[in-house]
Amino acid sequence: MPIIEVRNLHKAYGSTVAVDDVSFEVEEGEIFGILGPNGAGKTTTVECIEGLRRPDGGSVSVLGLDPIRDRMDVRRVLGAQLQESELPEKLTAAEALDLYASFYPSPANPAELLDDLGLADKAGTRFEKLSGGQKQRLSIALALVGNPRIAVLDELTTGLDPQARRDTWQLIEQVRARGVTIILVTHFMDEAERLCDRLALIDGGRVAAIDSPAGLISRVSTEQTLRFRPSAPLDEAVLTALPDVTAVSREGAHYVVTGTGNLPYTVITTLAAHDVVAAELRMDQASLEDAFVAMTGRSFEPQIAA
Amino acid sequence: MSTLTKITTVESKLFLRDSTSAVMTFAVPIGILVVFGSIGFTEGDDENNVSAGFLPVLSLALAAAMLGLSVLPTVLATYREKGILRRLSTTPVHPVNVLAAQLLVNLVAAVGAAVVVLALGAVSFDIGMPENPVGFLLAFLLMASSLFGLGLLVAALAPTGKAATSIGMLLFFPSMFFAGVWTPGDLMPEWARPVRDVSPLGAGMEAMQSAWDGHWPGATNIIALLVVTVVAAAVSAKVFRWE
Repeated sequence: MPIIEVRNLHKAYGSTVAVDDVSFEVEEGEIFGILGPNGAGKTTTVECIEGLRRPDGGSVSVLGLDPIRDRMDVRRVLGAQLQESELPEKLTAAEALDLYASFYPSPANPAELLDDLGLADKAGTRFEKLSGGQKQRLSIALALVGNPRIAVLDELTTGLDPQARRDTWQLIEQVRARGVTIILVTHFMDEAERLCDRLALIDGGRVAAIDSPAGLISRVSTEQTLRFRPSAPLDEAVLTALPDVTAVSREGAHYVVTGTGNLPYTVITTLAAHDVVAAELRMDQASLEDAFVAMTGRSFEPQIAA
Repeated sequence: MSTLTKITTVESKLFLRDSTSAVMTFAVPIGILVVFGSIGFTEGDDENNVSAGFLPVLSLALAAAMLGLSVLPTVLATYREKGILRRLSTTPVHPVNVLAAQLLVNLVAAVGAAVVVLALGAVSFDIGMPENPVGFLLAFLLMASSLFGLGLLVAALAPTGKAATSIGMLLFFPSMFFAGVWTPGDLMPEWARPVRDVSPLGAGMEAMQSAWDGHWPGATNIIALLVVTVVAAAVSAKVFRWE
């Protein structure tokens, strides 16, 4: 049975429709991604799950509870990390966790949580003195301190440097390993592809598709492209004869081979059989971004470097 | 420990860590008392109808006004601006607890400042104590509640912490004028006196001065303070946004 069910969710602010018609289910223990460009309605959707907003239409169920009607029960089992939410400047990391822990019936041990999140040596540091990555980790810690069954993380890595992003991703995988179901809102393709078991592509307040990252990509194209420079002269026919290969072309000294199936293996073993080594080998596959473009008919907004 | 106690403990630590609020609450009133006390401004002025309690009353009225019109609204509006109240909304605890904790902390600070000012005035400058302590306490608490009510209203209306500070200051200076900070007693121009009788700071100071001289605060003052408290609290309860 799904842990979260969203059915035909609709939410407008005045005449602006933020969420038109969104439905999806989240299974227990998975990392479910909500991916889409800025303004697609991602945040409004999760705010309805968190009980911060009342839907205008449709229904939301979290563990069989209504986030508005049963707000107290939902808040005890759902931890949230909000976009752009801060803490009082002079509050220390340990005090923040300790305070939030006191809000829940059976909280996690704040000291252990700080340790898990690599913040143990920052326990006595005030919020204003923490770096962006440390603030983000503290924010994740606050979302987890109530020992929630579900954690909703909104734009987790926006504003973080590449190393901090990778560290945060690793952290999310650890959280999932503890059995917490995670909803991850993001506009980063690489983040969604790396972390999510399944994801909903949202565009213009509607769900464009729901599938695993690989599933979404394979819907667009199963073609792969190999580009390489052969170490010795090579007869193109050797490659075109392979069943997996659909086309071979030349770009100067380089060959470009397109095909399906286990293309890299087939091509490289064939080359080896002819005593040819593929130098400067590069492989291209359709990406999640290609999938998004194909499914929504428009390009993903340029990502703003934060 | 109950949730409110826990939040209040944290908010008091934050209050003490913020040098601005500490300076406003303690240094300014003590400074006024010491400066004016040292130049002999501790006698009443019967001719102009100024109570001997004017100096200590002025000091602690300013402390309460700065807490109510500046510290309280700035902190609350900043909490909202930074999403702190919204973040709390996702926990089982309602952010109204933070609001209550802030009111408590500021009230305790105002009372603390009042105690220090009164003790210092009595010991160092021989100003004495209110002759009607119960009336004085009542007047002080009503003044504080009306100023805090206005502070909540400012916090409710201001979009940002900075805006709250500005609006608070816009209220603070005319309040000081109409309270007769520069023109005590009958030195205040005739036309401004009705405003003094009903403005929170003016009514509060008049009520406290009556109690200082041994009378009970005047009905006009008390009613004005009650009305401001109730109206400001009701309006802010209606318009306060948590995000």
